[in-house]
Amino acid sequence: MNKRFKIILLQLLTPIVAILFAVVLSSVLIVAIGKSPIEVYQTMIEFSLGRADSVGAILFNATPLIFSGLAVALSFKVGLFNIGVEGQYFIGAFFAAFVGFTFTGLPAFIHLPLAILAAMVGGVLWAFVPIYLKVRRGVHEVISTIMLNYIAYSLIHYLIADLFMDRNQKVPEGLGSPLIRTPHFAESALMPKLHGFLSFFGIDLPNYVYLNWFFVIGLLLAVGMYYLLWHTPFGYEIRAVGSNPKASEAAGISPNKIYFKGFLLSGAIAGLIGLSHLLSFYGYMDLDFPKNFGFNGIAVALMGNNNPFGIVLAALLFGFLNRGAEGVQTFMGVPMETIVIMQGIIILSVVVAANILGRYVKRLEKKEA
Amino acid sequence: MRKFKSLLVAFVLVVFAASTLLAGCAKKTEEPAKQEETKKIKVGLVFDVGGRGDKSFNDAAYAGLERAQKEFGDKIEVKYLEPSAGGENREQLLRLLAQDKYDLIFGVGFMFTDSIAKVAKDFPETKFALIDGYVPDLKEDSNISCLLFKEHEGSFLVGAAAALKSKTGKIGFVGGMKIPLIEKFEAGYIAGAKYINPNIQVLSDYIGTTGEAFKDPVKGKELTLKQIKNGADVIYHASGASGVGVIEAAASQKKFAIGVDSDQSLTAPEAQRPYILTSMLKRVDTAVFETIKSMVDNNFKGGYKEFGLKEDGVGYAENEFNKDLIADIKPKLEEIKTKIINGEIKVPTSKKELQ
Repeated sequence: MNKRFKIILLQLLTPIVAILFAVVLSSVLIVAIGKSPIEVYQTMIEFSLGRADSVGAILFNATPLIFSGLAVALSFKVGLFNIGVEGQYFIGAFFAAFVGFTFTGLPAFIHLPLAILAAMVGGVLWAFVPIYLKVRRGVHEVISTIMLNYIAYSLIHYLIADLFMDRNQKVPEGLGSPLIRTPHFAESALMPKLHGFLSFFGIDLPNYVYLNWFFVIGLLLAVGMYYLLWHTPFGYEIRAVGSNPKASEAAGISPNKIYFKGFLLSGAIAGLIGLSHLLSFYGYMDLDFPKNFGFNGIAVALMGNNNPFGIVLAALLFGFLNRGAEGVQTFMGVPMETIVIMQGIIILSVVVAANILGRYVKRLEKKEA
Repeated sequence: MRKFKSLLVAFVLVVFAASTLLAGCAKKTEEPAKQEETKKIKVGLVFDVGGRGDKSFNDAAYAGLERAQKEFGDKIEVKYLEPSAGGENREQLLRLLAQDKYDLIFGVGFMFTDSIAKVAKDFPETKFALIDGYVPDLKEDSNISCLLFKEHEGSFLVGAAAALKSKTGKIGFVGGMKIPLIEKFEAGYIAGAKYINPNIQVLSDYIGTTGEAFKDPVKGKELTLKQIKNGADVIYHASGASGVGVIEAAASQKKFAIGVDSDQSLTAPEAQRPYILTSMLKRVDTAVFETIKSMVDNNFKGGYKEFGLKEDGVGYAENEFNKDLIADIKPKLEEIKTKIINGEIKVPTSKKELQ
């Protein structure tokens, strides 16, 4: 029991030690560009945690990463690398966008769920190709998903810039340029913000913060995934296949079936990643729709050790780093490049530390047994 | 079960972390009052993705900022920011500058259109300037000024120059991202070339379909080599930082390249300079400078500002390196320029209009 306690304590301390280590390392960098590390960190923390709009922005930043971390982690759990989360969320976002601007006059309680459902269908569709190729033809999913990411980018470009571009924008003859975007969505497809709910608790967020119910959905999804993985037969099968496909086959589980279901489920979650931005911040899909949530999801999943709750924490850390970056850039004049390096150092330290700890814990557990 | 307990602990921690974060929301922190005595005009500028160092669009905006700083010295205070790689925090950066009481805030690039429109509504006292973007329904007393360029007019001129210099009767165009803005360059270029030689053949290629297309010199180089192989001997690019590859390829094959946005003869390596025929100038620097100047002179006007040939907002570059190169065609170019300015030549603004 004593050892158990020690392991939990270690699990809690490691990320903190890792972050402290990264902070020290980044300080060298900050000194090198001629700024005071203490001032920079102070600004970062005061700015990120001391203002209501910043906290709202952090949670908003974290929302897509919760979804993408969960999508990637689920594929990891089943023993596959879904690098294609990036492409799946782009396709999912477009499906939702299509529902958003095509249907008008639907009541919100039908329109919004329909858009969300469409996004999941889009993600599943884009995940279907690589997993079909994997199970039936033995094509490695890393290759096929990476390639499908490129196809997704270009396909979306074609759909937005050619087929569905909003041609009713007012732009004068020969001056300026119309935005390359779909028409605006109907109001009924937009996700309400969290402001009303929070004001119930005496928390007032400024109206330019776009924190919305997708954050709550993300948290619920994390709980749901935890339940699925550790408290249902299907979750057991996923974990069994993920840790040893041959042994589970001998035990009567068909790995191919589990690969199929697990991967498609991962794709369905991936389809939701972009919605928090799409259905509250933008209200249309444009060529500049934020990229890289899928790839960042891989880092989030690794940092969270593929644990749904760890993923939520890792996503919050990412959100904090991004908001803090805006603060130190604006108020301390630290260039963007420096901030990107700092973020890299922090992520790397946490991942390395988690790995070292993981091995140590395994050794401890073996001794215990 | 033990595993369950440790996970439960983890979940409680997540909830705890989230709630402390939210508790932070409840407190409203007051900004400490600033004790600034001397009233400086604070100018903020948010670059587009890529930021400084693209030797093209962003750098031109920076040049304008730098010139203003030099000229107005202690009357202004400047700051520039760069959005994250995906560009989704453009609005947040603009808002931070506005909250920090900046008087004039630039958004560099048409991607800022919606962000500026939103932020400007919340900060009616702050002035905003938007380069290349169009916000509808502005008036002179609006707090947004759209700085718009007639790139097609400048491209018409360099298209004419290309046709005048071409011996093979084939010229090339390499665009960055396939969007209407870049197609405007292409349309003007083709029209200019056809004005000189109706039978000229223009080979057009685009580097890509994402923002990456503006920073892919390798692909730029390959497309240029392909066009040269197919007979093109003058190649114009509108592809931002990818153009470095276009110029390199043209120089290596001893053919002409035409630069874009800034005068690229000045930034190219020595060996490539003899092969840069000219550059289509888009005076983003002038637009930035003039807007800051209007702030300093206290006569900032909202609405739309056009920068065409007439306003010297676009044009072709002449410098010590290409002076002799274009000496023979310069009179013709000047003649065309005058004709465009007084309306004798109507330059098409899109590929559709061209046909």
